[in-house]
Amino acid sequence: MKFIKNHLMFILPLMAILLGIEFYLVFDRTTNSYEKRLKEGYTMFVVTKTPMALADFQVLNSHIESVEAIDRKEVVGDIVKGISRNNTEKILKALPYFYNIGLNAYVKTSELESIKTDLKRENSIRKVETFGTAYSASYRLFTFIKFTLKLFIGFMGIVSIFLIIKQMEIWKYAHKRRMQVMEIFGAPLMLRSGILFKVAVIDAIVATLVTALIFLYLKFEWAAQSGIEIMVKNQENLFRMGDIGILLAAALVIVVVAVYSVVFSSSGVEE
Amino acid sequence: MSNVIHASKLTLAYDNGRKEIIKNANFSIRKGEFVFITGPSGSGKSTLLKALYGALKPTGGSLIIGGLDVATISTGKLQELRTHLGIIFQDYKLVNEWTVAKNVVLPLMIAGYSVDVQNTQAQRLLKHVKLSEHADKFPLELSGGEQQRVGVARALAKNPVVILADEPTGNLDDYSSNVIWDLMENACQQLETTVLVVTHKIPTIFSLPYRHFIIESKGVYEVH
Repeated sequence: MKFIKNHLMFILPLMAILLGIEFYLVFDRTTNSYEKRLKEGYTMFVVTKTPMALADFQVLNSHIESVEAIDRKEVVGDIVKGISRNNTEKILKALPYFYNIGLNAYVKTSELESIKTDLKRENSIRKVETFGTAYSASYRLFTFIKFTLKLFIGFMGIVSIFLIIKQMEIWKYAHKRRMQVMEIFGAPLMLRSGILFKVAVIDAIVATLVTALIFLYLKFEWAAQSGIEIMVKNQENLFRMGDIGILLAAALVIVVVAVYSVVFSSSGVEE
Repeated sequence: MSNVIHASKLTLAYDNGRKEIIKNANFSIRKGEFVFITGPSGSGKSTLLKALYGALKPTGGSLIIGGLDVATISTGKLQELRTHLGIIFQDYKLVNEWTVAKNVVLPLMIAGYSVDVQNTQAQRLLKHVKLSEHADKFPLELSGGEQQRVGVARALAKNPVVILADEPTGNLDDYSSNVIWDLMENACQQLETTVLVVTHKIPTIFSLPYRHFIIESKGVYEVH
């Protein structure tokens, strides 16, 4: 019982950190994909006096990624019904040029205004419509969710670090005498820390596997059967096999830092 | 006979040299000698012993053990030096979560001996200190005298060049103390191990004229 308790006291905070890391990875992938969809779904509307190509717009602002010219005949389609061809051509000739402009990122609202200002510097551009109000609402909601989750992950990380420090104190208490005795008799650092290191590495592997299993369950069982559209759509982002490597590396780094902090603080013979 | 330990103008201090315990001490101990170092409480007996196993670096002079000066020794060399020392403590310094047998073979484990050799040696050493039947017990299941015999067996495990003993019978009754003294005297006489004992009082069982140093007023003086 004591054996299990000793292991759980390191495995649980370590798992909390790993869950935080995995949440971050999942969240990052999901928000990137959501951001991509928001970006792809957004265009600003530009009216120009003369025809302009993508390169002409990109000179004005580097965020501009695509330009789609709106067919002018479609714009005036309903108006010119019943009007002679000659007059229709005159109307078309008098019409400005219309473009939908796509951006390369889901930029801040202020950045959107800056793009508008850059575009308006060009004399040929008569009007720029950014649909800023709708964009701003989506952007604020998106950044708020992002911030809240990061705050939660950060908080979880801090609490877990404190729990690990607590466990390090327990390790120090439990292993100090043995390590000091071994040091007195000439044991090198690796031998002195060997037992503690072995215990901690096993805990790190267990914590990594359990964390991976939780996310695999979320991915293949819960997300698939949840019926929540965003979960089903982002199922692929919930866990990737490469994440096991990231989690294990993170767990081992924590183990090395924790174990050697205990070993170095236990060095030296007691007065 | 050659000197195993040689101190020259040895100064030992705590608090970054501010609190001097021993100053300009000179003494030599030859191979196979049994030496007592006595002195009143707080005189620096244990401090000197600590310096001898490299837990305290001299702040002045030199302290040479087996040809290595602990004042300037590297960490690697210090570890190597310690593997040639057998150290016995008043509080035994046993690892309580290890069995008696495992405690005894610690020096062999550090030296990288195989488990088979360790097991054979554990049996031999425990037989030597008359604790064979306690091999699988844990130190806290033994009496103080028995724990110190485990400490002596551990000190003898690798046939050390020098045995350093810090008040080895300080916590023991007369019978247990005599057993411990016998074991150390035998090691000195039969194995030619140098034995240096720090104690506040030389036990009366010693009839042979062993060398005796006294620490007084920060100096180490031989008593003739």
